[in-house]
Amino acid sequence: MDTSSPAAFVNGGLLRMHVGRKVRTVIQVTRSDAGSVMGKSTDGCQLVVRGSPPAPLTSYVEVIGVAENENSIRAELWTNFGDSFDASNYDQLCQLANGELKHLFL
Amino acid sequence: MPVNLTRNAIAMMNSGDVNSKPLVQVVDIKLIGNSQERYRFLLSDSESTQHAMLATQLNEQVRTGRVKKGSIIQLIDYICSTVQNRRIIVVLNMETIIPEYEIIGNPKLPTGSEPEANKSMPNNNLLEPSTRSTNNRYSAPAPANKAQSFQPTIQPAYQPPPNYKIQGPIMKNEAPARIIPIAALNPYQGRWAIKARVTAKGDLRRYNNARGDGKVFSFDLLDSDGGEIRVTCFNAVVDRFYNVIEVGKVYLISKGSLKPAQKNFNHLKNEWEIFLESNSTVELCPDEDGSIPRQQFSFRPITEIESAENNSILDVIGIVISVNPSVPILRKNGMETQRRILNLKDASGKSVELTLWGDFCNKEGQKLQEMVDSGLFPVLAVKAGKVNDFNGKSIGTISSTQLFIDPDCPEAQGLRAWFESGGRNTASISISKELMPGGSKNEIRKTLTQIKDEGLGRSDKPDWVTAKATVVFIKTDNFCYTACPLMIGDRQCNKKVTQSGNKRWLCDRCNQEFEECDYRYLLQVQIQDHTGLTWVTAFQEAGEEILGCSAKEMYLLKYELQDDTRFGEIIRSRLFHQYLFRLKIKEELYGDEQRVKITVVKVDKVNYSAESRYLLDMVTKNFPNRKQF
Repeated sequence: MDTSSPAAFVNGGLLRMHVGRKVRTVIQVTRSDAGSVMGKSTDGCQLVVRGSPPAPLTSYVEVIGVAENENSIRAELWTNFGDSFDASNYDQLCQLANGELKHLFL
Repeated sequence: MPVNLTRNAIAMMNSGDVNSKPLVQVVDIKLIGNSQERYRFLLSDSESTQHAMLATQLNEQVRTGRVKKGSIIQLIDYICSTVQNRRIIVVLNMETIIPEYEIIGNPKLPTGSEPEANKSMPNNNLLEPSTRSTNNRYSAPAPANKAQSFQPTIQPAYQPPPNYKIQGPIMKNEAPARIIPIAALNPYQGRWAIKARVTAKGDLRRYNNARGDGKVFSFDLLDSDGGEIRVTCFNAVVDRFYNVIEVGKVYLISKGSLKPAQKNFNHLKNEWEIFLESNSTVELCPDEDGSIPRQQFSFRPITEIESAENNSILDVIGIVISVNPSVPILRKNGMETQRRILNLKDASGKSVELTLWGDFCNKEGQKLQEMVDSGLFPVLAVKAGKVNDFNGKSIGTISSTQLFIDPDCPEAQGLRAWFESGGRNTASISISKELMPGGSKNEIRKTLTQIKDEGLGRSDKPDWVTAKATVVFIKTDNFCYTACPLMIGDRQCNKKVTQSGNKRWLCDRCNQEFEECDYRYLLQVQIQDHTGLTWVTAFQEAGEEILGCSAKEMYLLKYELQDDTRFGEIIRSRLFHQYLFRLKIKEELYGDEQRVKITVVKVDKVNYSAESRYLLDMVTKNFPNRKQF
């Protein structure tokens, strides 16, 4: 397993804790343009993801990239997560990964 | 305190005096009898001694030590009789006056000849006869049957302790035998009479055995003390009494022989059964004896039936809440019979399934159906129903079962009152459904090693758990069996069928042959989780889920088309899939050893969303300070 550049699990609210660092998150796509995608994070925040999304794009997509600021990410890797996704589970995961169970994550 | 035992009490008793209530001393107590607990006392009046048998209803007194060796007792009710040439006293009621006392006087201990049942030579000088010879004597028919050996003798009022050498009884009592309670009946009784009501009359049955043809019928009696006993008549005796005996009427019965009850057929609370003979008397008592109840029940609340033993016989009463139509059922012997299922509910909050078989379906079953269809909820009392534990606990009728619709008894009235004042609307839980706690709320999740570590499956009821695991191996030998496709009622027979002739199949249960059989899965699968692995058995539905195709297809592929490649591919493709297995775990006896058997009841694909929620819940619930997410 390649552990050279681990990405922290974040939702909208936790993005600010990792500005400038590698993050990963899942967003529900609300708008998609040529160079960026707007989406809703699992805790309901509006995020902007810059980069070239895959085509076609499913409703939910995971992005891994560098956090530019508290509501935007420069994506390096996009993965379609399909049209149905349990956002609340993912959100809880993000909170655990940054909170009580932080020690279990890279 | 000096004690005076009744002078010459022993002689008085031996001479037939049963009305004095003598004070005697128990010199010895001996437990005799092979199969039953019987106590024999040696009673003394300070000069002479006499053996006396204790009626079984008094056994408790010996067991608890209320009467023991040396006790001074007063005989309140007793009977004297002669068996062969021994004088036997049976104590029916006694009172311990002084529990412990040194032996009074110098009572002469019994000696004397002990003729064996078929020899007449005096041999033993034993003080106490061996158990074997005791049983020989006691199992001989009551002297009343040996009409030819009666020798009437004038009995003097007093006699010194005699040494009996004559054959036959000393005196013949011409007075009508005393009516005694059914509970006091025993084979050592010389003369007895009982007055009781017939509560059940069996059918006349004809039989054929090594000794030839015969016929038999039985009827059950209930007396005013609540004692019950079964009476059986064979052959010629049947002709005498079959038409005389009617259910509900009271009879005076005397001169029958007492033998141990056959517990397989006789479910009355009595260790004995009466057999009527050619000299037995049965007299109808026309005066309605109100002291004898019509029927005796000991109803168990439905909630107690849940813990009753399989095959036990009991009485139950409840409101009939549903009646299903009669369905023809093919029995093992190929005979067809009718079956009806109904549900009874009582005040315990539980309901139970009652299965009616045969005639009950057409008679009481039909009547109940009509009543329920017209909106009524009748009370049904069941006497002698049999508990069945196939699916939870249910009750079925047997040949000696009796059904009473809306009986006139206090329990029925109480039940009706409960029903009308709210019982009607209270939901009741059925004890006749196999308890399979379903739904994600009640599911108990275990890991595979927890099954062994926690000893699941070892109690009386099976354990039902859910485990998330992966299929790692599927046994391909004997993965299915040839099953009977015929329908029995609303279910498929599914019994394993055997080949008969060429290309035809035979089912033993349905007793039919057919060309095409069904194929059903009987899969042995090994499943594994992060803690360990275990073997499980999967039947048809679970098998189809695991293999993704029918047993028939797999059978044809392997045996008809002999395409092992394709067969192997399918099997391999089904390995390493993760499922949520609903498991039934029960320890069973295999030959000599107890083995835990795990059956897959249901296979569900893992729903990742729900499973994640479950895992998240597990993770967070043990945090020291619970956070609300």
